[in-house]
Amino acid sequence: MAAIEAQGLSKTYRGPLGGAGAVALRGVDLRVERGTAFGLIGPNGAGKTTFVKALLGVVRPTAGRVSLLGGDPDDPAVRRRVGYLPERLALPPAWTPVEILTSVARLKRLGPARAEVARRLEEVGMAEAAGRKVGGFSKGMKQRVGLAGALLGSPEVLVLDEPTDGLDPLARVEVRSLLARELERGATLLLNSHLLSETERVCGRIGILVEGRVVRQGALPDLRSALPRWRVRLAGPAAAIAAAGFSGGGQGSWAFEGEALAMNAALDRARAAGALVLEVAQESKDLEAVLAEAVGAEASAEPGGRP
Amino acid sequence: MSALLVAADLLREARSRRWTLALAGAVTLVLAAVAVGLRLEVVDGALAATRLFGGSLDTDIRSVDVALRPFFAATSWLVFFGGTVFGVVAVSDFAPSMLAPGRVESLLALPVRRWQLLLGTFLGVEALVLGGAVYGGGGMTLLLLAKTGVWNPGPVLAAAMAALAFAPIYAVMLGAALLVRSAALSAAAGFLLLLAGVVAGERGPIASAFEPGTARAVFLALTAPLPRLTALARAASDLAQAKPVAAGPFLGSALGAALFASAALSLAAARFERKDF
Repeated sequence: MAAIEAQGLSKTYRGPLGGAGAVALRGVDLRVERGTAFGLIGPNGAGKTTFVKALLGVVRPTAGRVSLLGGDPDDPAVRRRVGYLPERLALPPAWTPVEILTSVARLKRLGPARAEVARRLEEVGMAEAAGRKVGGFSKGMKQRVGLAGALLGSPEVLVLDEPTDGLDPLARVEVRSLLARELERGATLLLNSHLLSETERVCGRIGILVEGRVVRQGALPDLRSALPRWRVRLAGPAAAIAAAGFSGGGQGSWAFEGEALAMNAALDRARAAGALVLEVAQESKDLEAVLAEAVGAEASAEPGGRP
Repeated sequence: MSALLVAADLLREARSRRWTLALAGAVTLVLAAVAVGLRLEVVDGALAATRLFGGSLDTDIRSVDVALRPFFAATSWLVFFGGTVFGVVAVSDFAPSMLAPGRVESLLALPVRRWQLLLGTFLGVEALVLGGAVYGGGGMTLLLLAKTGVWNPGPVLAAAMAALAFAPIYAVMLGAALLVRSAALSAAAGFLLLLAGVVAGERGPIASAFEPGTARAVFLALTAPLPRLTALARAASDLAQAKPVAAGPFLGSALGAALFASAALSLAAARFERKDF
């Protein structure tokens, strides 16, 4: 069963004079199964934050529908089961972390939450600063408080927009292990992050959003191998090897992008032209390469391409 | 229930706001000045002499409840208009800070409906204003009770009236903050309605200054929906002095202010419901 489901979700912001403004989402179809971690990635302005906001009812969709835990995101009973950390978190500066989390617990109707507030602050490493006003906190400390707030009540769905923004590398590791624990208990995680390595480590499934459209989505290994890249060492006439479909060629190292069959056919052509195969290896693509590829493919699919 | 929780949070936040603390400090200062500086000599139920910081104010011998009427009236006007002006400034930042990027998203993602968030903010501010007004009015009542033995809860009633008069003002301020997230603009909208409400309260005498015809009709039409703030202030002053208040006009003004506040709040809620953050 899906924890998050969007069908044909579109959002066009209103312009300053009330007319149509920027188009942020163009018919997004996306499904996140319960108990999984889904990473949303894409270039700046792709519509990732708008998608997250539409999912939580912060932004009103222009068309399409979105459901959260099978219900309407506007329904308080549904939102009670969701934890959210916004991209640009602002906390009341005169409040302490304890006061902030207690307020969240009250509004979520969690009942007496003193022990859980203390536990969550401990988990994010803010126990010592629990009684200090957040006005004097660094960005990373505020982020930790926000994360603790999102985790209150052990929500079934966690929607985290740039959760490790402002955190130091060690704190990022702590957050990763915290999220792993949440996944272990069965929570669903939607992670929106610019840090692709972060997304790669935490999420099993990825959706790539480009200019308001989901251009690719699926399990990370599938996305990585969507178009395998091969590194081949060949000796022989460079022009003939290039004509066979290989690129590069510096110090005898050539690259080929395509399925195994296509790569073998290219090798056959190169050998027929007198080349000698020395070594063949499949390259493992990281998420950065997958994203770059998806953005590039989207640009070339558009009439005129991207600038 | 959620709206009340939001209101309670606003009151918690108000404790640390500069302007709220200044308002509390100013009221305390006035009360302290009266407590220390005002000396009322009461002999057999009559006020024999009044001294403020040693200087004689009045030496006529009058019945104490009659003699205190100017004090109660002054308290009422001060609470009503002084409190309103101070209140507009003190609360102008609440809605803009609630709507600040990064904060409003967190609030909207909580199990609270948008109208509850708006109503909670409104109720929190009203409770704050009522608290401040009752503190000032009630404090003065208790001081004068201690100094003269005269019990007159009128200033407390006047304080409640001031809070009622503040309702349409803050509803408009809330609506303005939803249009443009600015404390200055929100305060400007509040002051504009305060001014318009003063004019509306005197619309009869002002209208007679216009020649009968279109201009007068337009003026009367424009001021008809506005809350009659001066009428309410006068009624508050009469209540504070324990004078009889004409029920009809008073109830009309009070109901008008409540209706105006409800309408402005409904418009603000409709705007909030559609707004993207």
